[in-house]
Amino acid sequence: MRDVLLAARLVFAKDVAIELRTREVVVSTALFAVLVAVLASLSFFVDELEARAIAPGVLWIAIAFSGVLASGRSFARERENDAMRGLLHAPIPPAGIFLGKALSTLCFLAIVEAILLPLVALLYRVDLTHVLFPTLMILALGTLGQVLAGTLFGAMTVRTGARDLTVSVVVFPLIAPALLAGVVATREIFGGAGLAESLSWAKILLAYDLVVGAAGILMFGPLVRE
Amino acid sequence: MLDFDRVEARGLVKTYGSTLALGGVDLALRSGTVTVIEGPNGAGKSTLLAILTLLARPTRGTLRFGDYDALELGAELRGTIGVLSHASFSYPDLTANENLLLAARLYRVPSPEKRIAVLRDRFEIGSFGDRPVRTYSRGQLQRVAIARALVHQPRLLLLDEPSTGLDAHSTRRLVGVVEDEKTRGAIVVVVTHDAELAASVADARVAIVRGRIAEAA
Repeated sequence: MRDVLLAARLVFAKDVAIELRTREVVVSTALFAVLVAVLASLSFFVDELEARAIAPGVLWIAIAFSGVLASGRSFARERENDAMRGLLHAPIPPAGIFLGKALSTLCFLAIVEAILLPLVALLYRVDLTHVLFPTLMILALGTLGQVLAGTLFGAMTVRTGARDLTVSVVVFPLIAPALLAGVVATREIFGGAGLAESLSWAKILLAYDLVVGAAGILMFGPLVRE
Repeated sequence: MLDFDRVEARGLVKTYGSTLALGGVDLALRSGTVTVIEGPNGAGKSTLLAILTLLARPTRGTLRFGDYDALELGAELRGTIGVLSHASFSYPDLTANENLLLAARLYRVPSPEKRIAVLRDRFEIGSFGDRPVRTYSRGQLQRVAIARALVHQPRLLLLDEPSTGLDAHSTRRLVGVVEDEKTRGAIVVVVTHDAELAASVADARVAIVRGRIAEAA
């Protein structure tokens, strides 16, 4: 366990150091997410009530595509100079690489969501003051699940030439449960659902996160090695 | 660190589905010797190397590093292996110093900064070590790749087509590194198509054809 955490810390620190120098993942995904939110608001806005109903879908579509973009970019760095192979040669558990990459992508997406959520609230007339805690809880759990799935199958893109096919055939169906639960939970929260109802959705997302996280820890090594 | 002075492979077989990549390879490697593995494309050299790096498991056969069962120990023994390939394994947006520090920490090198200072001097990386790797020439990149492969003073050094894309000067430096590592007592394996490189470093030569050892000298 200590080895896994040590490896995760090193991989996370490395990804953050690269991002601080290039700002590539955060800037590209944030721009994309903002574009989705703004274009959808121009296209779909009817009145305040309609707008509030559309907001959860726009929010999660932006997060889903940004997440895939962020994972893809993160693993593109591992393809250059065959850097992932360099990591695999080291005496560290592959689970540590998986957790480190997932954690760094989660941090980058959290920054994007810190911009996206207030923007969606502004464009779609959602008052976040009374629903901020449950919204953040659902957002955190839903994003974590997507990042774990994206990291697990992002690893496949290091070794396969059919990267876009991997994303459309494997990643999108795999993140669908988190996406659906996230959209419905956010819709209920924006519609005035209480904390108890939010918690039931949170439990579903937590279960999804645990399953995908466990699968990632177990499968990452075999997926990237041979 | 686990230590050993020989590597012995017995009856290594590797299949991918119905394709036979290795058909029963026996290999004995000794400390302080350089073994060159040659063969045409698709002969199974890369598969053999992947098994020696412990990133791939053979379908059948045994692999021992000294008294250790390499297929059982896996991760622990990877810390004793250094790999130099035509790819540098470096992150282009990090500097050479940052890449070497990362490698030293991944391999749990004691006093990583001191070790990197030694490697910087040995491979004359100091003048460009603070620039991102993306800006390096092929020769500079190779120096970083060599330093990275040696950061943990590996017992087994595997070189996979190391002279690809190098000029004569860089190839001479590479030959010097192989000689130095041999003198240090490392077990050195070079997989190459480069006949000149093979002739200049080999103590033993092994030819692989269609997954089998065709010739050993």
